[in-house]
Amino acid sequence: MGNISNKKISPSIFKSVDIGYDKNVKKVTIGNGSPLALIGGPCAIESKDHAFFMAEAIGKIVDDLNVPWIYKSCYDKDCRSAPESFHGCGLEEGLQILSEIRKEFGIPVVSDFSDPSWAKATGEVCDLVQIPAYLCRQTTILRAAAQTGRPIHLKKGQFMSPWNMKNSVRKIEAAGGKNIILTDRGTFFGYNSLINDFRSLSIMAEIGYPVCYDATHSIQNPTSMGIISGGERQFIPSLVRAAAAVGIDALFMEIHNDPKNAKSDPNTVINVKYIKKVLVQAIKIHQLRLELIKELGADEVD
Amino acid sequence: MINTSISNITLPLAAFPIVSSEAPLISVLQLMSKLSIGHACVVTENYNLIGVFTDGDFRRMILNSQKPLSALLMDDILIHSNKDPKYVLENEHFENVKSIMQKNKVWDLPVINQEHKLVGLIHMSSIVK
Repeated sequence: MGNISNKKISPSIFKSVDIGYDKNVKKVTIGNGSPLALIGGPCAIESKDHAFFMAEAIGKIVDDLNVPWIYKSCYDKDCRSAPESFHGCGLEEGLQILSEIRKEFGIPVVSDFSDPSWAKATGEVCDLVQIPAYLCRQTTILRAAAQTGRPIHLKKGQFMSPWNMKNSVRKIEAAGGKNIILTDRGTFFGYNSLINDFRSLSIMAEIGYPVCYDATHSIQNPTSMGIISGGERQFIPSLVRAAAAVGIDALFMEIHNDPKNAKSDPNTVINVKYIKKVLVQAIKIHQLRLELIKELGADEVD
Repeated sequence: MINTSISNITLPLAAFPIVSSEAPLISVLQLMSKLSIGHACVVTENYNLIGVFTDGDFRRMILNSQKPLSALLMDDILIHSNKDPKYVLENEHFENVKSIMQKNKVWDLPVINQEHKLVGLIHMSSIVK
Protein backbone atom coordinates (compact mmCIF):
# COMPACT_ATOMS: atom_id res chain seq x y z
CA MET A 1 0.00 0.00 0.00
CA GLY A 2 2.96 2.34 -0.43
CA ASN A 3 4.79 4.37 2.13
CA ILE A 4 2.52 5.03 5.06
CA SER A 5 3.77 7.69 7.41
CA ASN A 6 1.96 7.95 10.73
CA LYS A 7 4.54 9.82 12.78
CA LYS A 8 3.75 12.51 15.30
CA ILE A 9 3.64 16.05 13.95
CA SER A 10 3.37 18.97 16.32
CA PRO A 11 2.14 21.41 17.19
CA SER A 12 -1.58 20.92 17.12
CA ILE A 13 -3.95 23.01 19.13
CA PHE A 14 -5.64 20.44 21.27
CA LYS A 15 -4.95 18.61 24.48
CA SER A 16 -3.79 15.01 24.33
CA VAL A 17 -5.02 12.06 26.36
CA ASP A 18 -2.78 9.13 27.34
CA ILE A 19 -4.39 5.70 27.49
CA GLY A 20 -2.77 2.76 29.27
CA TYR A 21 -2.35 2.64 33.06
CA ASP A 22 0.46 0.14 33.51
CA LYS A 23 3.47 -1.35 31.80
CA ASN A 24 1.57 -4.39 30.56
CA VAL A 25 0.26 -2.39 27.62
CA LYS A 26 1.68 -0.11 24.98
CA LYS A 27 0.49 3.38 25.90
CA VAL A 28 -1.59 5.22 23.28
CA THR A 29 -1.60 9.02 23.04
CA ILE A 30 -4.61 10.60 21.38
CA GLY A 31 -4.64 14.25 20.25
CA ASN A 32 -2.19 17.16 20.05
CA GLY A 33 -0.82 16.13 16.67
CA SER A 34 -0.31 12.49 17.59
CA PRO A 35 -0.72 9.75 15.00
CA LEU A 36 -4.32 8.84 14.27
CA ALA A 37 -5.37 6.16 16.75
CA LEU A 38 -7.89 3.37 16.26
CA ILE A 39 -10.46 2.49 18.89
CA GLY A 40 -11.82 -0.75 17.50
CA GLY A 41 -12.92 -4.32 17.97
CA PRO A 42 -16.06 -6.44 17.97
CA CYS A 43 -19.15 -4.62 19.26
CA ALA A 44 -19.84 -7.25 21.92
CA ILE A 45 -17.58 -9.80 23.58
CA GLU A 46 -19.08 -12.92 22.02
CA SER A 47 -16.69 -15.47 23.59
CA LYS A 48 -13.09 -15.60 24.74
CA ASP A 49 -12.05 -17.43 21.61
CA HIS A 50 -13.70 -14.89 19.34
CA ALA A 51 -12.32 -11.95 21.32
CA PHE A 52 -8.80 -13.36 20.99
CA PHE A 53 -9.30 -14.19 17.31
CA MET A 54 -10.35 -10.59 16.60
CA ALA A 55 -7.49 -9.15 18.66
CA GLU A 56 -5.04 -11.14 16.59
CA ALA A 57 -6.67 -10.33 13.25
CA ILE A 58 -6.90 -6.58 13.91
CA GLY A 59 -3.49 -6.56 15.59
CA LYS A 60 -1.75 -7.78 12.45
CA ILE A 61 -3.23 -4.95 10.40
CA VAL A 62 -2.59 -2.11 12.85
CA ASP A 63 0.96 -3.31 13.53
CA ASP A 64 1.65 -3.34 9.82
CA LEU A 65 0.38 0.24 9.48
CA ASN A 66 1.86 1.41 12.77
CA VAL A 67 -1.55 2.56 14.02
CA PRO A 68 -1.87 3.04 17.80
CA TRP A 69 -4.79 0.89 18.86
CA ILE A 70 -7.19 0.45 21.75
CA TYR A 71 -9.17 -2.79 21.70
CA LYS A 72 -12.88 -2.13 22.10
CA SER A 73 -15.50 -4.67 23.05
CA CYS A 74 -18.41 -4.49 25.45
CA TYR A 75 -19.54 -6.97 28.08
CA ASP A 76 -23.14 -5.75 28.29
CA LYS A 77 -25.20 -4.35 25.44
CA ASP A 78 -27.96 -2.52 27.24
CA CYS A 79 -29.56 -0.68 24.33
CA ARG A 80 -30.50 -3.51 21.99
CA SER A 81 -33.81 -3.17 20.18
CA ALA A 82 -35.46 -6.42 21.34
CA PRO A 83 -35.66 -8.44 24.57
CA GLU A 84 -34.33 -11.57 22.85
CA SER A 85 -31.29 -9.77 21.37
CA PHE A 86 -27.87 -10.85 22.64
CA HIS A 87 -27.22 -8.83 25.77
CA GLY A 88 -23.57 -9.71 26.26
CA CYS A 89 -21.50 -12.12 28.30
CA GLY A 90 -21.86 -10.05 31.46
CA LEU A 91 -19.61 -7.90 33.59
CA GLU A 92 -17.55 -10.54 35.36
CA GLU A 93 -16.77 -12.79 32.41
CA GLY A 94 -16.37 -9.84 30.05
CA LEU A 95 -13.87 -8.00 32.20
CA GLN A 96 -11.93 -11.23 32.72
CA ILE A 97 -11.63 -11.66 28.95
CA LEU A 98 -10.61 -8.01 28.46
CA SER A 99 -8.03 -8.39 31.21
CA GLU A 100 -6.57 -11.41 29.42
CA ILE A 101 -6.51 -9.53 26.10
CA ARG A 102 -4.51 -6.76 27.78
CA LYS A 103 -1.96 -9.22 29.08
CA GLU A 104 -1.74 -11.45 26.04
CA PHE A 105 -1.56 -8.72 23.38
CA GLY A 106 -0.17 -5.78 25.38
CA ILE A 107 -2.84 -3.40 24.17
CA PRO A 108 -5.10 -1.02 26.11
CA VAL A 109 -8.78 -2.01 26.24
CA VAL A 110 -12.10 -0.18 26.47
CA SER A 111 -15.67 -1.21 27.24
CA ASP A 112 -18.70 0.92 27.82
CA PHE A 113 -20.84 0.59 30.94
CA SER A 114 -24.54 1.35 31.20
CA ASP A 115 -25.04 1.29 34.96
CA PRO A 116 -23.15 3.51 37.43
CA SER A 117 -22.58 0.51 39.73
CA TRP A 118 -20.48 -1.18 37.00
CA ALA A 119 -18.06 1.75 36.71
CA LYS A 120 -15.60 0.76 39.44
CA ALA A 121 -15.02 -2.76 38.14
CA THR A 122 -14.83 -1.50 34.55
CA GLY A 123 -12.20 1.07 35.50
CA GLU A 124 -10.15 -1.52 37.36
CA VAL A 125 -9.61 -3.46 34.14
CA CYS A 126 -10.14 -1.01 31.28
CA ASP A 127 -7.63 1.66 30.28
CA LEU A 128 -10.44 3.77 28.84
CA VAL A 129 -14.06 3.77 30.03
CA GLN A 130 -16.79 4.49 27.53
CA ILE A 131 -20.13 6.21 28.04
CA PRO A 132 -22.84 5.08 25.61
CA ALA A 133 -24.28 7.82 23.42
CA TYR A 134 -27.82 7.33 24.75
CA LEU A 135 -26.52 8.01 28.28
CA CYS A 136 -24.21 10.90 27.46
CA ARG A 137 -26.02 13.39 29.66
CA GLN A 138 -26.83 11.13 32.64
CA THR A 139 -25.12 12.76 35.59
CA THR A 140 -24.75 9.57 37.63
CA ILE A 141 -23.03 7.77 34.74
CA LEU A 142 -20.74 10.73 34.02
CA ARG A 143 -19.82 11.05 37.69
CA ALA A 144 -19.20 7.31 38.02
CA ALA A 145 -16.93 7.41 34.96
CA ALA A 146 -14.92 10.30 36.39
CA GLN A 147 -14.54 8.48 39.70
CA THR A 148 -12.79 5.57 38.00
CA GLY A 149 -9.85 7.92 37.38
CA ARG A 150 -9.51 6.50 33.87
CA PRO A 151 -9.72 8.54 30.64
CA ILE A 152 -13.31 8.71 29.41
CA HIS A 153 -14.60 8.05 25.92
CA LEU A 154 -17.77 10.14 25.71
CA LYS A 155 -19.99 9.70 22.69
CA LYS A 156 -22.26 12.51 21.57
CA GLY A 157 -25.87 11.38 21.83
CA GLN A 158 -27.70 11.17 18.53
CA PHE A 159 -30.16 13.68 20.01
CA MET A 160 -27.54 16.12 21.32
CA SER A 161 -26.18 19.27 19.75
CA PRO A 162 -22.37 19.30 19.68
CA TRP A 163 -22.22 22.49 21.77
CA ASN A 164 -24.43 20.97 24.47
CA MET A 165 -21.77 18.28 24.96
CA LYS A 166 -19.96 20.94 26.95
CA ASN A 167 -22.59 20.39 29.67
CA SER A 168 -21.58 16.73 29.91
CA VAL A 169 -17.90 17.63 29.87
CA ARG A 170 -18.46 20.08 32.72
CA LYS A 171 -20.22 17.35 34.73
CA ILE A 172 -17.23 15.04 34.28
CA GLU A 173 -14.80 17.82 35.20
CA ALA A 174 -16.86 18.68 38.29
CA ALA A 175 -16.47 15.07 39.43
CA GLY A 176 -12.69 15.19 38.93
CA GLY A 177 -12.40 13.79 35.38
CA LYS A 178 -9.60 15.42 33.42
CA ASN A 179 -9.13 13.26 30.35
CA ILE A 180 -11.95 12.99 27.85
CA ILE A 181 -12.33 11.99 24.20
CA LEU A 182 -15.44 13.29 22.44
CA THR A 183 -16.93 11.23 19.65
CA ASP A 184 -19.46 11.88 16.92
CA ARG A 185 -21.57 8.86 16.00
CA GLY A 186 -24.19 10.64 13.92
CA THR A 187 -27.22 12.74 14.71
CA PHE A 188 -30.88 11.79 14.30
CA PHE A 189 -32.18 12.95 10.95
CA GLY A 190 -35.90 12.27 11.36
CA TYR A 191 -36.95 8.80 12.52
CA ASN A 192 -34.69 5.75 12.14
CA SER A 193 -32.04 7.70 10.32
CA LEU A 194 -28.76 9.40 11.17
CA ILE A 195 -26.69 12.06 9.48
CA ASN A 196 -23.16 13.29 10.12
CA ASP A 197 -22.93 17.01 10.63
CA PHE A 198 -19.16 17.31 10.38
CA ARG A 199 -19.26 20.69 12.07
CA SER A 200 -19.75 18.60 15.22
CA LEU A 201 -16.09 17.57 15.15
CA SER A 202 -14.83 21.17 15.04
CA ILE A 203 -17.37 22.37 17.59
CA MET A 204 -16.54 19.57 20.04
CA ALA A 205 -12.80 20.12 19.50
CA GLU A 206 -13.29 23.70 20.66
CA ILE A 207 -14.40 22.32 24.03
CA GLY A 208 -10.74 21.48 24.46
CA TYR A 209 -10.43 17.70 24.22
CA PRO A 210 -9.44 15.30 21.43
CA VAL A 211 -12.20 14.24 19.06
CA CYS A 212 -12.99 10.91 17.47
CA TYR A 213 -15.20 9.77 14.60
CA ASP A 214 -17.31 6.64 15.04
CA ALA A 215 -17.50 5.37 11.47
CA THR A 216 -19.58 2.26 11.98
CA HIS A 217 -22.38 3.71 14.13
CA SER A 218 -22.61 6.79 11.92
CA ILE A 219 -23.95 4.69 9.06
CA GLN A 220 -26.54 3.02 11.30
CA ASN A 221 -30.26 3.34 10.63
CA PRO A 222 -31.43 3.02 14.23
CA THR A 223 -34.06 0.29 14.71
CA SER A 224 -35.03 0.75 11.06
CA MET A 225 -35.76 -2.95 10.70
CA GLY A 226 -38.33 -3.11 13.47
CA ILE A 227 -36.46 -5.06 16.10
CA ILE A 228 -32.97 -4.46 14.82
CA SER A 229 -30.97 -1.55 13.46
CA GLY A 230 -30.04 -1.38 9.81
CA GLY A 231 -26.97 0.20 8.32
CA GLU A 232 -25.39 1.36 5.10
CA ARG A 233 -21.82 0.16 5.39
CA GLN A 234 -20.94 1.20 1.86
CA PHE A 235 -20.59 4.77 3.11
CA ILE A 236 -17.96 4.00 5.75
CA PRO A 237 -14.88 4.71 3.57
CA SER A 238 -16.10 8.02 2.18
CA LEU A 239 -17.29 9.26 5.57
CA VAL A 240 -13.99 8.30 7.16
CA ARG A 241 -12.12 10.29 4.50
CA ALA A 242 -14.35 13.29 5.19
CA ALA A 243 -13.95 13.06 8.97
CA ALA A 244 -10.16 12.74 8.75
CA ALA A 245 -10.05 15.81 6.52
CA VAL A 246 -12.24 17.85 8.88
CA GLY A 247 -10.03 16.86 11.78
CA ILE A 248 -10.07 13.91 14.16
CA ASP A 249 -7.59 12.49 16.64
CA ALA A 250 -8.97 8.94 16.66
CA LEU A 251 -11.14 6.72 14.52
CA PHE A 252 -13.66 4.35 16.09
CA MET A 253 -14.86 1.25 14.25
CA GLU A 254 -16.63 -1.90 15.34
CA ILE A 255 -14.97 -4.75 13.49
CA HIS A 256 -16.00 -8.35 12.91
CA ASN A 257 -14.77 -11.30 10.88
CA ASP A 258 -18.30 -12.35 9.94
CA PRO A 259 -20.67 -9.36 10.19
CA LYS A 260 -23.74 -11.29 9.04
CA ASN A 261 -23.43 -13.56 12.07
CA ALA A 262 -22.23 -10.95 14.54
CA LYS A 263 -24.18 -11.18 17.79
CA SER A 264 -24.50 -7.40 18.03
CA ASP A 265 -24.89 -4.70 15.37
CA PRO A 266 -24.62 -7.13 12.41
CA ASN A 267 -25.71 -4.43 9.97
CA THR A 268 -23.11 -1.85 10.93
CA VAL A 269 -19.90 -3.63 11.99
CA ILE A 270 -17.25 -3.57 9.28
CA ASN A 271 -15.65 -6.75 8.00
CA VAL A 272 -12.04 -6.96 9.17
CA LYS A 273 -10.97 -7.63 5.59
CA TYR A 274 -11.81 -4.01 4.68
CA ILE A 275 -10.17 -2.12 7.52
CA LYS A 276 -6.66 -1.90 6.09
CA LYS A 277 -7.84 0.08 3.10
CA VAL A 278 -9.96 2.37 5.29
CA LEU A 279 -7.13 2.93 7.78
CA VAL A 280 -4.55 3.69 5.09
CA GLN A 281 -6.74 6.45 3.71
CA ALA A 282 -7.54 7.83 7.15
CA ILE A 283 -3.86 7.92 8.13
CA LYS A 284 -2.79 9.64 4.92
CA ILE A 285 -5.47 12.32 5.19
CA HIS A 286 -4.77 12.82 8.90
CA GLN A 287 -1.07 13.24 8.19
CA LEU A 288 -1.72 15.70 5.38
CA ARG A 289 -4.04 17.75 7.62
CA LEU A 290 -1.37 17.95 10.33
CA GLU A 291 1.26 18.94 7.78
CA LEU A 292 -1.03 21.70 6.50
CA ILE A 293 -1.56 22.99 10.04
CA LYS A 294 2.20 23.06 10.49
CA GLU A 295 2.72 24.85 7.20
CA LEU A 296 -0.20 27.27 7.21
CA GLY A 297 -1.28 27.48 10.84
CA ALA A 298 -4.66 26.70 12.34
CA ASP A 299 -7.87 27.79 10.62
CA GLU A 300 -8.42 31.48 11.12
CA VAL A 301 -11.56 32.40 9.19
CA ASP A 302 -13.89 34.41 11.42
CA MET B 1 -17.28 66.27 46.37
CA ILE B 2 -13.92 67.20 44.78
CA ASN B 3 -11.11 64.84 45.85
CA THR B 4 -13.54 62.72 47.83
CA SER B 5 -12.79 59.03 48.15
CA ILE B 6 -14.94 56.58 46.19
CA SER B 7 -15.34 54.16 49.09
CA ASN B 8 -18.83 55.49 49.91
CA ILE B 9 -20.15 54.79 46.44
CA THR B 10 -18.42 51.45 45.77
CA LEU B 11 -20.75 48.46 45.71
CA PRO B 12 -19.47 45.55 47.81
CA LEU B 13 -18.63 42.21 46.13
CA ALA B 14 -21.95 40.55 46.97
CA ALA B 15 -23.96 43.33 45.34
CA PHE B 16 -22.92 42.88 41.70
CA PRO B 17 -22.31 39.94 39.31
CA ILE B 18 -18.91 38.29 39.62
CA VAL B 19 -18.30 35.13 37.59
CA SER B 20 -15.57 32.68 36.60
CA SER B 21 -14.24 32.56 33.06
CA GLU B 22 -15.91 29.19 32.46
CA ALA B 23 -19.37 30.21 33.65
CA PRO B 24 -22.04 29.34 31.08
CA LEU B 25 -23.50 32.46 29.53
CA ILE B 26 -27.04 31.70 30.68
CA SER B 27 -26.07 31.58 34.36
CA VAL B 28 -24.29 34.93 33.98
CA LEU B 29 -27.39 36.49 32.40
CA GLN B 30 -29.52 35.11 35.24
CA LEU B 31 -27.18 36.62 37.83
CA MET B 32 -27.17 39.97 36.05
CA SER B 33 -30.99 39.96 36.03
CA LYS B 34 -31.21 38.95 39.68
CA LEU B 35 -28.90 41.74 40.82
CA SER B 36 -30.29 44.22 38.26
CA ILE B 37 -26.83 45.17 37.03
CA GLY B 38 -25.98 44.79 33.35
CA HIS B 39 -22.29 44.33 34.04
CA ALA B 40 -20.50 41.18 35.18
CA CYS B 41 -16.88 41.05 36.28
CA VAL B 42 -14.97 37.96 35.11
CA VAL B 43 -12.35 36.95 37.66
CA THR B 44 -9.84 34.22 38.42
CA GLU B 45 -10.10 32.05 41.54
CA ASN B 46 -8.12 34.74 43.37
CA TYR B 47 -10.44 37.49 42.23
CA ASN B 48 -8.01 38.94 39.71
CA LEU B 49 -10.04 40.83 37.12
CA ILE B 50 -9.63 39.31 33.65
CA GLY B 51 -12.59 40.78 31.80
CA VAL B 52 -16.04 42.30 31.95
CA PHE B 53 -19.22 41.22 30.23
CA THR B 54 -22.01 43.74 29.75
CA ASP B 55 -25.53 44.02 28.38
CA GLY B 56 -23.91 45.71 25.39
CA ASP B 57 -21.61 42.74 24.78
CA PHE B 58 -24.65 40.46 24.79
CA ARG B 59 -26.52 42.76 22.39
CA ARG B 60 -23.59 42.85 19.96
CA MET B 61 -23.15 39.11 20.26
CA ILE B 62 -26.78 38.44 19.32
CA LEU B 63 -26.56 40.84 16.36
CA ASN B 64 -23.28 39.48 15.01
CA SER B 65 -23.47 35.76 15.71
CA GLN B 66 -25.12 33.23 13.43
CA LYS B 67 -24.99 30.56 16.12
CA PRO B 68 -28.22 29.23 17.62
CA LEU B 69 -29.01 30.68 21.01
CA SER B 70 -28.54 27.28 22.65
CA ALA B 71 -24.92 27.27 21.44
CA LEU B 72 -24.28 30.81 22.65
CA LEU B 73 -25.76 30.09 26.02
CA MET B 74 -23.40 27.19 26.56
CA ASP B 75 -20.27 29.11 25.68
CA ASP B 76 -17.88 30.17 28.39
CA ILE B 77 -18.32 33.78 29.37
CA LEU B 78 -14.72 34.87 28.76
CA ILE B 79 -15.05 34.21 25.01
CA HIS B 80 -17.56 37.06 24.76
CA SER B 81 -16.05 39.38 27.34
CA ASN B 82 -14.06 42.56 26.95
CA LYS B 83 -10.62 41.36 28.05
CA ASP B 84 -9.19 44.88 28.31
CA PRO B 85 -11.77 46.55 30.51
CA LYS B 86 -11.59 50.01 32.09
CA TYR B 87 -11.24 49.95 35.87
CA VAL B 88 -10.21 52.22 38.74
CA LEU B 89 -8.05 51.76 41.81
CA GLU B 90 -9.72 51.74 45.19
CA ASN B 91 -8.02 54.98 46.25
CA GLU B 92 -9.14 56.86 43.14
CA HIS B 93 -10.90 60.21 43.63
CA PHE B 94 -14.54 60.71 42.83
CA GLU B 95 -14.05 63.43 40.19
CA ASN B 96 -11.54 61.28 38.30
CA VAL B 97 -13.96 58.37 38.28
CA LYS B 98 -16.67 60.61 36.91
CA SER B 99 -14.46 61.87 34.12
CA ILE B 100 -13.35 58.31 33.23
CA MET B 101 -16.99 57.33 32.93
CA GLN B 102 -17.83 60.34 30.78
CA LYS B 103 -14.80 59.98 28.56
CA ASN B 104 -15.29 56.24 27.92
CA LYS B 105 -19.08 56.27 28.02
CA VAL B 106 -19.21 53.44 30.53
CA TRP B 107 -21.69 53.34 33.39
CA ASP B 108 -19.98 50.74 35.52
CA LEU B 109 -16.36 50.60 36.64
CA PRO B 110 -14.74 47.71 38.48
CA VAL B 111 -12.67 48.80 41.48
CA ILE B 112 -9.42 46.93 42.09
CA ASN B 113 -6.72 47.08 44.73
CA GLN B 114 -2.94 47.28 44.29
CA GLU B 115 -2.77 43.50 43.74
CA HIS B 116 -5.20 43.82 40.83
CA LYS B 117 -7.87 42.04 42.84
CA LEU B 118 -11.48 43.03 42.43
CA VAL B 119 -12.82 44.79 45.53
CA GLY B 120 -16.00 46.45 44.29
CA LEU B 121 -17.93 48.14 41.51
CA ILE B 122 -18.96 51.74 40.93
CA HIS B 123 -22.37 51.82 39.35
CA MET B 124 -23.74 54.95 37.66
CA SER B 125 -26.71 55.06 40.03
CA SER B 126 -24.37 55.57 43.01
CA ILE B 127 -22.83 58.61 41.32
CA VAL B 128 -26.19 60.13 40.46
CA LYS B 129 -27.21 59.80 44.10
